[in-house]
Amino acid sequence: MTDFTSSTSAEGAVMFPRPKKRIKGRSIAVLVFLTMAALFFSIPLYVLVTTSFKTMDQIRGGAIFSLPEVWTFEAWRYAWDEACSGITCEGLKRGFVNSLEILFPSLIASIAISAVTGYALALWNVRWAGGFLFLLFLCAFVPFQIIMYPLIVITVKLGIYGSVWAVAFIHTVLAMPVLTLIFRNYYKDIPPEIIKAAIMDNGSFWRIFLEIVLPMSGNILIVVLIMQITSIWNDYLIGVTFGGLGAQPMTVNLANMVTVTTGTVSYNVNMAAALQTAVPPLVIYFVLGKFFVQGIAAGAVKG
Amino acid sequence: MPRVSFEHIVKRFGAITVLDGLNLAVDDGDFLVLLGPSGCGKTTLLNLLAGLSDVTSGRIMIGERDVTDLDPKDRRLAMVFQSYALYPTKTVRGNLRFGLSASKLPKEEIDKRIAWAADMLQIGPLMDRRPAQLSGGQRQRVAIGRALVKHADVLLFDEPLSNLDAKLRTEMRLEIKKLHEELNPTVVYVTHDQIEAMTMATRIAIMNGGKIEQFGTPDDVYERPANLFVAGFIGSPSMNLLPATVETGGRARLADGSLLDMSGYVFDTTPPAGAELVVGLRPEHFSLVANVDPACRLDLEIRHIERTGSDAMLSLAFGDRRVVVRATPTETSRLKSGDKIAVTFPKDRLNLFDAGSGRRI
Amino acid sequence: MGIRWSRLTPQLALTPAVAITAIAFIGSIGWTILLSLTSSRRLPDYTIDWTNPFRQYARLFADIGWRISLSNLIVLAIGSALAIVFGFILAAMIERERRGEDFFRTVFLYPLAISLIVTGVAWRWIFNPALGLESFFHSLGMTWVSFNWLADGRTAMYAIILASVWQSSGFYMALMLAGLKAINVEIWSAARLDGVPLWRVYLEIIIPMMKFTFLTCAILLSLGVIKAYDIIVAMTNGGPGQSTWLPAYFTINAMSAKGNLAFASAAATLMLAITLVIFLPLVLLTVWQQRMRKGVAG
Repeated sequence: MTDFTSSTSAEGAVMFPRPKKRIKGRSIAVLVFLTMAALFFSIPLYVLVTTSFKTMDQIRGGAIFSLPEVWTFEAWRYAWDEACSGITCEGLKRGFVNSLEILFPSLIASIAISAVTGYALALWNVRWAGGFLFLLFLCAFVPFQIIMYPLIVITVKLGIYGSVWAVAFIHTVLAMPVLTLIFRNYYKDIPPEIIKAAIMDNGSFWRIFLEIVLPMSGNILIVVLIMQITSIWNDYLIGVTFGGLGAQPMTVNLANMVTVTTGTVSYNVNMAAALQTAVPPLVIYFVLGKFFVQGIAAGAVKG
Repeated sequence: MPRVSFEHIVKRFGAITVLDGLNLAVDDGDFLVLLGPSGCGKTTLLNLLAGLSDVTSGRIMIGERDVTDLDPKDRRLAMVFQSYALYPTKTVRGNLRFGLSASKLPKEEIDKRIAWAADMLQIGPLMDRRPAQLSGGQRQRVAIGRALVKHADVLLFDEPLSNLDAKLRTEMRLEIKKLHEELNPTVVYVTHDQIEAMTMATRIAIMNGGKIEQFGTPDDVYERPANLFVAGFIGSPSMNLLPATVETGGRARLADGSLLDMSGYVFDTTPPAGAELVVGLRPEHFSLVANVDPACRLDLEIRHIERTGSDAMLSLAFGDRRVVVRATPTETSRLKSGDKIAVTFPKDRLNLFDAGSGRRI
Repeated sequence: MGIRWSRLTPQLALTPAVAITAIAFIGSIGWTILLSLTSSRRLPDYTIDWTNPFRQYARLFADIGWRISLSNLIVLAIGSALAIVFGFILAAMIERERRGEDFFRTVFLYPLAISLIVTGVAWRWIFNPALGLESFFHSLGMTWVSFNWLADGRTAMYAIILASVWQSSGFYMALMLAGLKAINVEIWSAARLDGVPLWRVYLEIIIPMMKFTFLTCAILLSLGVIKAYDIIVAMTNGGPGQSTWLPAYFTINAMSAKGNLAFASAAATLMLAITLVIFLPLVLLTVWQQRMRKGVAG
């Protein structure tokens, strides 16, 4: 018959002990593969860092993977202060300042316009919202080249061509469709009852946005912020097209520095310059990685 | 004979011990229900049997085979999952077939089994649909069909009815019961729903905090709960549990001063005078008409009456506690809140527990 | 009046977005298409020769640089598709193993945070024949190894593919990982109990379940390939010769270096056409897939 023994007597004593679990062969193979892939992914960063701290003498000796014999900041200082980019020789610091001057206005303008647009389309009864969203969806995928010349003419007419304002303006224009779709997708999950209740309480379009919707947007704002900072900072094409000579962002300075080669090439300076350009987005990535992943996923899937 | 037994099972997740030296065995053809509140370890136990996770120590036997170290696929069991876990990209037929495709059976045998299961569960017309095109009940049938075609020694169910609405749940309950009577496989079924347990099981193991509180037939656990946990867990509305003190002469005194005649109770160990008890009284065993020789008679004030149509639940004040009594609507039609009534309890229906250990005495 | 305002304000708030869409996108696209039909050189000239309005397009297809650009586009698309495959393999392994998930995800994804210009600089340095990877292998005695891909027109595209796979694999891995994690664990349990070999589970169950994720990746990949410009500038600047030209590079080169506005506009128009041809079917397929899913669920 069925038996059942309450194990009070046997408690504590281990019966039928199992051997210690060992890592399975398949796990080891997977981990080895992943580690090798991780090495492949790390090589460029490793090479950038080590080369930037080497002296040119050591670099000329070959051995790209060796560590610096003497760690020197000379290349970093030179890249920042003196390296020649095009006709000017004042290092990357000009580009760094330009990049910052481009970054802030375009961040504020693009997020403000897109958030308000997304909010209006998601929560207010705009009759042509559906058609407009589809249009924005198409705009998000238009290649930049097809609107490049007209945009140049427009910025010239506005009198801002060749300034950081032109670059910031174009960033705002180009980011608007994707960001609007992201905000719209986020806001459409807010229950419409909240908005109805707020309207009943005499809330206006702007007050509801500022007092109810915006405080609920924390997550999406961080995600969009990270996404925009990275893409604006890393942009080259818009900067080189609209920045003229005086308002080139850091990436353009860097590209000029490494492609225009007069005399001997200082690889350590090139690598230091590349790293200086990469540091701001990398810092954001390593500090706010989780949001970064959300950001690219949101930008990708919903864009 | 595929007798399933768990021997001294210990399962730890990191520092947390979920099961600590658990023993349990059921016979071939038994329908074992693992019943308990969430987090009691019942699903963990099922997953150990299925081989989806490994025991920390202990042994699991199916018949004469030690399956503790076997891969899930080699344990000769089949499982119906809570979410059904149908392969969404395959048709119903594809779902049934995919499970058999690794078994190296000849094609005719596979087709025969699929046709048999389709017939058994009346899913023939659905064979070429995808899971997304099926209703909840239909998915449930397909999931059971996928388990049946494997002709496994043991069938496992992990809360299979929890995603269905009340009406479908009743239907499927009967259906599963019928399947068990026809095919008579050994079944291990996990649920937190005591109605499912009481209606389907031949054996119930009531679990709490990684331990088995009671193991027995549905009648056992209902009529003779082994401890206070089982007493409170089984039955709806749950058993009234009232403190009492043993007096001389086979009697005990309840908190309100009334006397309880324990002469109809079969003691395992007779408690000495002065011992503290908990008396368990099921709501449906009370009667409103004077009983010839009751265990006790309580005069209580009605606080609240809840009529469900077929029954009426009286909630009576007992000091600062409540006593719930089930009565018929006709008996209670004239009663209202605030009335004082007398209820009696028969001698042979008492449940007595030691107040300290909580065990039945 | 209050009711009227509550209707009007949202529409007023939409004005900037509508203006941007109308002027910067729709108007500008029309403008460029119009220019492509003219004979504008450095400055716009809006007279269209109606006897032969498509002469710029005819010139374009006769241009060897454009033909190289188109064939490179296909090579890059096929090569970059490796990033999706690689991304899926990495995601599947991380999801299976779980150990070190955060570490591996961080390592595989960091290239995405870096400007393509920086990526190009780093890889060009690695491909440097005298001091880079090749010299490293030669110093190990493996003198048959050649990594001087950038100097040879036949291999330069492969170097660019390698760099862009390096850059984007982590991105596809992240999307795939999200897709894999969305799969019910009980599906895996069911497959384990069924004893189906792992490769069959992936091939017959998991990958078909993730077709929406794969479609998304395919759309993003094709857009990325059409837009590819920075990486070319940083790694080869189109060279050697014209061997690494791409439509995006060709178009900007025609406008800024050659100062041929009508010609560049024609190329840009064709880029838009290519985008539509690749993109529309994929988007329609995706929308259709989603409809199917919703229709079935509802």
